[in-house]
Amino acid sequence: MRLNQCYKLIFFIALLPFLSSCFEVIEEISMKNDGTGDVVLTINLSQSKTKIASVMLLDSVQGYKVPSKQKIQQELNEAVAYLKKSEGISNVKSTSDFNNFIATISFSFKDVSNINNITKNILAQQKIKATNTSSYTYNKATKTFSRKYQAIGTAKTEFNKLKSKDKAVFNGATYTSIYRFESLVTSSTNPASNVSKSKKAVMLKSTITDLINGKINVSNSIQLAK
Amino acid sequence: MKKILFSFSLLLLFNLAKAQDLVKKIPANAFTVATIKGDNIFKLMFVKDFNESFVGKKLLEGTSKSLDKNFTTIEDFGINLDKNMYYFNQLTDSITYNCFLIPLKDAAKFESLINNKDSKIKTTGDTKTMVLPDSTSIIKWNNNMMYFVTGSIKGSFFADSAKSARYGIKDIRFQQDEATMVDGAAVAVDSAYVTTTDEPVVETAVAPPVKVKVKQKTALKKTNKKTTGKKKATRKKAAIKPKQEPEEEIADAAMDAAEAIPAAETVNAQYDLYQQERAEQEAKKKRLAFTWMTAQAEQIFNGNYESIENNKSYTNSLDSKAIAELWVSSLQDVYNAVAPEFGTYGKAGLMKGYGSLNAKLFMDNKSFRISTGLELAQEQADSYKKIMNKKLNKNFLKYVNSDKAIGFMSYAIDTKAYLEEFPKLMKQTYGSFLGGRMDEEMDLGADLLSLLLDEEAVSKVIKGDALFVINGLNTKDVTYTTYDYDDDYKQKEVVKTKKETLPDFLFMFSSDDTRLINKLIKYGVNKNFVSADGNIYKIIEKKSPIDIYFLIKDGIVFFGNSLTEIQAINSNQLNNTISKTHKNLLSKNNFSFLFNAKNLVGKVPASEIGGEETAKKFNSTLEKMGNVYMKSNPIKGRLVSADISAEIPNGHENALKYLFSLIENAAK
Repeated sequence: MRLNQCYKLIFFIALLPFLSSCFEVIEEISMKNDGTGDVVLTINLSQSKTKIASVMLLDSVQGYKVPSKQKIQQELNEAVAYLKKSEGISNVKSTSDFNNFIATISFSFKDVSNINNITKNILAQQKIKATNTSSYTYNKATKTFSRKYQAIGTAKTEFNKLKSKDKAVFNGATYTSIYRFESLVTSSTNPASNVSKSKKAVMLKSTITDLINGKINVSNSIQLAK
Repeated sequence: MKKILFSFSLLLLFNLAKAQDLVKKIPANAFTVATIKGDNIFKLMFVKDFNESFVGKKLLEGTSKSLDKNFTTIEDFGINLDKNMYYFNQLTDSITYNCFLIPLKDAAKFESLINNKDSKIKTTGDTKTMVLPDSTSIIKWNNNMMYFVTGSIKGSFFADSAKSARYGIKDIRFQQDEATMVDGAAVAVDSAYVTTTDEPVVETAVAPPVKVKVKQKTALKKTNKKTTGKKKATRKKAAIKPKQEPEEEIADAAMDAAEAIPAAETVNAQYDLYQQERAEQEAKKKRLAFTWMTAQAEQIFNGNYESIENNKSYTNSLDSKAIAELWVSSLQDVYNAVAPEFGTYGKAGLMKGYGSLNAKLFMDNKSFRISTGLELAQEQADSYKKIMNKKLNKNFLKYVNSDKAIGFMSYAIDTKAYLEEFPKLMKQTYGSFLGGRMDEEMDLGADLLSLLLDEEAVSKVIKGDALFVINGLNTKDVTYTTYDYDDDYKQKEVVKTKKETLPDFLFMFSSDDTRLINKLIKYGVNKNFVSADGNIYKIIEKKSPIDIYFLIKDGIVFFGNSLTEIQAINSNQLNNTISKTHKNLLSKNNFSFLFNAKNLVGKVPASEIGGEETAKKFNSTLEKMGNVYMKSNPIKGRLVSADISAEIPNGHENALKYLFSLIENAAK
């Protein structure tokens, strides 16, 4: 092993046990009264940017291969391409910041049901099994927006199979969903959700571990004022 | 007279005691010898303690279950635990023997251990012999020793048809018969049925069966001829003959069946034949191996021959305090012996110049230690000596803080000598790899390199010694981006700071001529890669998660990520104390490595490890670890050696008991 590679490795070995990271996954859906809308998906790893920058210098960590920047960008582009081809989806954009490790994908939809299975299919392209399925519906007549979330049972067992230091990667990771509407929100069925002061948005925050363990279900049915 | 008799009997007694050590039974041409010193092991742990330990219990339970007997103590195995147990192997070009020599205390107990209904025990005087059911191993024992041998035939030996023909063994390959076919017509037939599977072929398919039959007979005739030539022909012939007939019958039956079926099925029948012939040859090889093994076992057990005690390389490698030792006679020879198995990839000579290898394991009440040594050929040893003729810069010791250091790694070589010797070493290792065809080119290359490189000048810039040390952990403020939400849950990007714990590392190397480095620094500053603050420079690298500072002072170039530390070095305000052990480790050896787990305990905040529980586990594991050292020893004669040792923490009587407790904990 060349010497400086050796030193890099030693340095990194010192960091290894500390590989729990905080990161945020944010899903924002802005619904218009006519049923169209926009989606912005964000993944923000900047709280762990030091560790990630170090990890990216290595080939593999904790047994998993570390993808290069190009590879990550390429996968982002593939997701964008997939979205562009999807029915009802338009105006697809993506941003990536490799200094702060934040990536976003945004797009518009004709009908909220267009976004069902998007995540699942994007993940499937990357050969990752989705941990859940969500189906969104918006009833224009009754002005009811609902999301049916179903965790896939195997996800929990797969997660539990991971070694504890692998599981630790998800400590401090959060998931936030924000739904914005043009009309006022009169009710939101999920007890974990909060309605904004302006009554035009509903937010739900959860830790990713709780999501995987099934402790929190993000299904929600939101009733808008007529 | 009495005195003489008395001293004579004492001498005899001594010799007897020594003679009891089975090492005398190991042949001088053994390739590898491994020793486990029963007395040293059981000095660390009494038999009673072993039986009651987790490992001991598992061993006894497992053996009891598999042999359907009841063992309560390892003494029930009948082995003499106060003496050395040996493994050795012998390599020949055709077969490898793997052998165990175990001293026995109670042969009867041992016999009851291995007694089973499937194998018979043959007794000849004092010696009993048992052959394992599949005839691949033989066990011989008497009242004070047990010898176990298993032999494996070298495939590559029998792949050579000339060699294998000597033993009446054929190298069977599928459809080889076609190639060795004397009958030209058969060849024509083959080309016929290889073509297509439509009507015409079906018709001609009738012909092959006939031909195959002929092939068969000639094949069988061949084996017949070969076996008559052998010494042990009578036995073999008798064994082969009955086999031939059923084969012929099967073959005939196959042929008759084949007559009525298309070409593809004939291939199947051929394949079955190939399998049969192959199995037959394998069985022959096995019998041959068994014959050889029996002879070898007899030789070892009862014969007289030169023992390995006369091999200086072996005896020099021994250390009476070790609990286990391993000795390999010559890496070069081992490699050359196995290389043919690798085919064209195993070019002889990759390990040229490497002689014997040895490793010893020591355990005492303070630490584990593995000591390894490698003998080099004179030429390589001389090169090595020149390269290693350098000690670490004494000034480096000022920068190690033994109280807080988590670890360090150092090396010291003479750059000039290394650059000079490097081409020679490359040629030796890789020259023969390329088959000696590139000798001239390698020489030219080496000369060119020498011409272009001014070894002296390079060695002034980089003297060849370096130290990397982690003097502790420090928290740093790090910014990150996150989002705040207003009353409308509209997202706003905000920048927050948090504390991160990073190791403080320091890397230094000696340099007598810093002109080039200074030029590089100037260049860096001009191009904005580097920012200067007095003597201290910082590398501006946006993508790097850590800031790297560097400084040149007193003939040493420093790199580090802790500004405070670099500043302290610059203004001579360092307050480090280095312990004697660390000082010796660094200054006496060319390579050294230290990991001090204790200094890491409690220094990493729980949130960064992944929660309280993980932090607790992490810290308790670290606390239990002592220091881990690695070092290279100065070259002695032609022997280079290195040690790795791990201290055991307090609370354990000795390293062996500590190891057992580790195993027990891991199994939980």
